[in-house]
Amino acid sequence: MAIFSFDTWQVTIFSLVVGLAATLLILPFGIALAYLFARNEWPLKTLLETFLLLPLVMPPVSTGLILLKIFGRRSPLGRWLYDRGVEIVFNWKGVLIAMAVMSFPLLFRSVRTSFAEVNPRLEQIAATLGASPPRIFFVVTIPLAYRGIVAGALLAFSRALGEFGATILLAGNIPGKTQTLSLAIYNFVQLGKDTEAYTLLGITVALAFLFVWSSEWLLRSGTKA
Amino acid sequence: MHLRCRIPLASFALDIDATFDAKVTAIFGPSGSGKTTLLDAVAGLRPIESGEIEINGATIFSSARRIHQPARSRGIGYVPQEGALFSHLSVRRNILFGAGRASTAEAARSIELEHVLDILEIGSLLNRPVTQLSGGEAQRVALARAILSKPRLLLLDEPLAALDIGLKERILPYLARVRDEFHIPMIYVTHNLTEVLTLANWVLMIRQGKLVAQGVPKEALRSTSAMAELPDEQFENVLTATLVESDAAAGRSQVRLASGVELFIPYSPRPANSPCQVRVSADDILISTQRPVGISATNVLPGTIRRIESVAGETMLTVFAGEEFFVGLTSPAVARLGLRENLPVFLIIKARSFRLL
Repeated sequence: MAIFSFDTWQVTIFSLVVGLAATLLILPFGIALAYLFARNEWPLKTLLETFLLLPLVMPPVSTGLILLKIFGRRSPLGRWLYDRGVEIVFNWKGVLIAMAVMSFPLLFRSVRTSFAEVNPRLEQIAATLGASPPRIFFVVTIPLAYRGIVAGALLAFSRALGEFGATILLAGNIPGKTQTLSLAIYNFVQLGKDTEAYTLLGITVALAFLFVWSSEWLLRSGTKA
Repeated sequence: MHLRCRIPLASFALDIDATFDAKVTAIFGPSGSGKTTLLDAVAGLRPIESGEIEINGATIFSSARRIHQPARSRGIGYVPQEGALFSHLSVRRNILFGAGRASTAEAARSIELEHVLDILEIGSLLNRPVTQLSGGEAQRVALARAILSKPRLLLLDEPLAALDIGLKERILPYLARVRDEFHIPMIYVTHNLTEVLTLANWVLMIRQGKLVAQGVPKEALRSTSAMAELPDEQFENVLTATLVESDAAAGRSQVRLASGVELFIPYSPRPANSPCQVRVSADDILISTQRPVGISATNVLPGTIRRIESVAGETMLTVFAGEEFFVGLTSPAVARLGLRENLPVFLIIKARSFRLL
């Protein structure tokens, strides 16, 4: 893939693009699951929730190893995908999946909290006014929870950019192919290329600052209103 | 409307069986007696263990016949206690949220936006964000939103409870206007006696989830058992009247009651012949056994004591003076004056003790 041949900016752009794709990929699932968890009670809910949040506390390398076992060519799923020309391991798709899995818990938690803060009474009243469940969800619930959803997406995106452990196991550290900002920094430090490493460091700090700051600003403007 | 439902709650079961057909039915009872639960059940927001709900012959819920219309197709407008406006939408979009619903009730079809805005005086608020409304404005907007969904029944859950006393006095007339202008039957939940007497044609008194009395408010609430339920409440006389004339210089207006009795009340700029309601607290009426002379009060009505009821040291007299008036006295006062049933007396009421709705 020539377009991802090494260059500081290309590593940055690759990370941003795949990170954004991972965030967009998990967004619908995160929103749907968060809503289910915020509004319903069922047996074993806590167990399932713990399972969903595991990647947040597990060593990322362990998560990466699990992903490698799931998507590796020797697993049934990996084999099935490979037979259809889809290769996950040591490929940008591996980066995407590692980022998606690692960021999901952050998105899920943030969105679930913001759904829980939406007064269910408003949804009930919308129903008495004749609104259908999809209309209630998209016209009442989502707009009232949007700050938490956007903040959660920003957090997930930042987490995706910082992903290292799971990515390196599932996708490797192939310059121009699967190398992200974090992997590149590690690489440059290993090779003693301090200037390149510090350039990338500067970029990651700036990006992280931007995302965390906007996420905080969003949540704060929400509490004031 | 027929309403029969059983809903188990944490400390008691709500168990109501009532049939009523009034313009405004009040559900009256102390906090925690299950009033809001009952409204939620009627609106379809809460499961009912067993029972039946029927409005104008249409069954919207029946556990026996397995009918359970969801809230959105019941056509029941609901104004909850806290208003529950959508804070992310403007006043206009809040008000029009349910306006697209096709109505089932014949009378409700005539509801026009302009008319509703006019009656509730909220036309100027349309483009404001909901977060910038005062408590009284927010309640009127919530009311407009429910009315414009063209419901066949309107549920109001203590719409005035969150407002301070001054604001209550100002919002109450809007509720009366809604009752008189739109032909939507209402169920009005409250623990305030004045609201029941002012707005309702029928009252269901509930306590601990059980129906303890029902009837025309004046009669149902007068019964000794009902009075025992509300020891701290001020009992008010609410009278339907017509404005006769107003004298700004004298600072008073004259109204005529249905019985022909005329009263002086504080000045009102309303035109002559307009219908109105006047209120006076039972505690603000004096009793005299002889025609009083040399007093400042302008309303002196001859009448006869119909009934004397005592509850916990307080005595409630029912005096017929063209209409029934309730007069609150202490028991020693009753003994000192030698009051008894069928005794002719005079009621003395200052013009300023009346309030005009």
